[in-house]
Amino acid sequence: MKRLIAATILAIAAAGSAAFAQDLPKILSTLDAQSDFTGKDFAAVYTIVSQKPGEKDTVSQVRMFRRDAKKQFAMLVVLPEVNKGQGYLREDDNVWFYDPTSRKFSFSSIKENIQNSEAKNSDLTRKSILDDYEVVGSKEGTVGKIAVWIIDLKARTNEVSYDRSVLYIRKDKTMLLKQEDYSVSGRLMRTMLFPKYVELEGRLMPSQILIIDELNLGERSQLTLTEQSLAILPDKVFTKAFLEQVNK
Amino acid sequence: MNTIANIAFRNLSRQKKRTILLGSAIAFGVMIVTLINGFAGAFSSNVSENFSNLMAGHIFISGTEKGPNDKDMSVIRNDSSLTAAVEASGAPTKYITRRSAFSGTLIFEGKKIRTNVDGAQLDKETFLRERLLLKDGSWDAMADETALILSEKIAAKLNADVGDTILVQMQTVNGQNNVGEFTLAGISFDAGIFGQMMSYANLSYVNELLGLAPDEYQTMGIMLDGLKNTEVSASEIYARLNESGVQLFERGVKDETGAETPFQALLRKQNKESWEGVKYRLFTINEMLSQIKQIVAALDTTAAIILVVLFVIIMVGITNTFSMVMFERIGEIGTMRALGVQRGGVRSMFLYEAVFLALGGAIAGIILALIVMLGISMINFGMDSPAFLIMKNGHMSFYLPPLKAVGNVIIIALLTLVAVSSPAGKAAKLTPAEALRTQK
Repeated sequence: MKRLIAATILAIAAAGSAAFAQDLPKILSTLDAQSDFTGKDFAAVYTIVSQKPGEKDTVSQVRMFRRDAKKQFAMLVVLPEVNKGQGYLREDDNVWFYDPTSRKFSFSSIKENIQNSEAKNSDLTRKSILDDYEVVGSKEGTVGKIAVWIIDLKARTNEVSYDRSVLYIRKDKTMLLKQEDYSVSGRLMRTMLFPKYVELEGRLMPSQILIIDELNLGERSQLTLTEQSLAILPDKVFTKAFLEQVNK
Repeated sequence: MNTIANIAFRNLSRQKKRTILLGSAIAFGVMIVTLINGFAGAFSSNVSENFSNLMAGHIFISGTEKGPNDKDMSVIRNDSSLTAAVEASGAPTKYITRRSAFSGTLIFEGKKIRTNVDGAQLDKETFLRERLLLKDGSWDAMADETALILSEKIAAKLNADVGDTILVQMQTVNGQNNVGEFTLAGISFDAGIFGQMMSYANLSYVNELLGLAPDEYQTMGIMLDGLKNTEVSASEIYARLNESGVQLFERGVKDETGAETPFQALLRKQNKESWEGVKYRLFTINEMLSQIKQIVAALDTTAAIILVVLFVIIMVGITNTFSMVMFERIGEIGTMRALGVQRGGVRSMFLYEAVFLALGGAIAGIILALIVMLGISMINFGMDSPAFLIMKNGHMSFYLPPLKAVGNVIIIALLTLVAVSSPAGKAAKLTPAEALRTQK
């Protein structure tokens, strides 16, 4: 009888695990869909507060414009005042940085940090977890008291900033609550927490992100999103001329 | 004519104090200008030679591969063609280095600093052991794959000691984030401002962190027997590489605006091109440091301006002095004219006197400058001096191109002649009767 009960439990667990494994692509594609604004344009203001031990908190603010269908974005630095007018422009896979002082564009990268914070340009753009990563492990767990799927991802290409990421996704509602990013050598580099979400035209998107630097203890950045909009943007926003024009 | 020259020479000793003062003024000006010229002459070669030591080569070959999405990736996967070309070129090679490098942030107990880490074949690069003196730790500890050598200043900023584990945050050749763990094996004496920025680790571990295979690397450095052979050898090696059929970037790319060094222009051109496999670029220490030539030109221009300014002042003094001389010797001029000396003879006497004065002053100035140069070059400022890069083995060194010295002497002689021409002309124009009746 005991054997029968044990076998039944194992069978149920195996069936549950198999079902979860089958659901993984669906969970990840839901997450991808949440950050994909293909067919619409997206605009928002990101306020980044960075904390470093022994230093005063710094506040950066950028205005982001995205057109995911064409892999374009334009990002304007609003704060700090000394960097106001700087901007980033993405056209396909090229990212350009505009410096209003020299009035020149220089080649930049989506992997670069924004204004000396822990956030990277890629954190503010469309992500495709399914394209960039493969699932190498999954299990159930909790974040606080919330039940989550813990999905271990390994990069398919070297085009992504982090070689390995572990996602903590809320079970009852597909929401990313926590993300751990690892170096190529396998060391935890940063942890991202997503405590607040807003609903924008039926889709969930984080409105607050906390990024903790795991190498430089005590260093963290908090991103807050405001003025989110899915209204169509003029084509000229995604041009070098736009970045030059806003500085005139 | 010889008599006139003799009289002019003798005249110089008639008012010794005045002659010495004027000659000293000329000598001082020449000394200053010669010192600047001498410093500028050695500046370029000293900086280039010191940079060659820091970067372990006079000629460099680096490989670039186009990664996914057309991103450049610095790597040399197989160097058989490169070593064959170096051998076939007949370049006077002292040694060849193979290095990979990255710029990263070293982190230790809440402190961090950005630095360059050079991955070198420490078992083969014996010259590095000779050049890089360790203040703490030992070269034997470099046998540990994760060993790291930091300069004194960087170690102090991190507050790290030998044996401590130091994290490094950097990016792979593909731009992915990576973290390494080094063990501090040695702390080197600071070798000047650039030496402080250099840290050394084992090539194999640096490759691992960069995402390269153990037998791959990024830059081949070819150290020659001296800087003078650099350009000829580079052309020879480039020609042999071309013959071997490897993909090569064009050499000597120039920026039309003059805003970039040839090296920067080469990199910019590379960004615009597309290719498959590894493409090599060959560059020399002179191309990397071509802006040094602009500094030398600026120093030479400064020297020329100082020469002119000093001599305008000295010329006023010379003109004034020779006007007085003419007035003092007016009776003598009258006598000479009455005895049959022509106007040209009187003019020549004054001009000879000026030329002798200028030559004497200029030669004394050059001798003084050489003595000062010798004195300064004997002072040992040490290898940790902030001015290490412009010195030769810790000593200031000077090189005075002989033509420049001769040129300076000619300029001074001409300027002195110009200064004296007016009083000499006035003296020549005097009639014997007018000169003889003029009361002093």
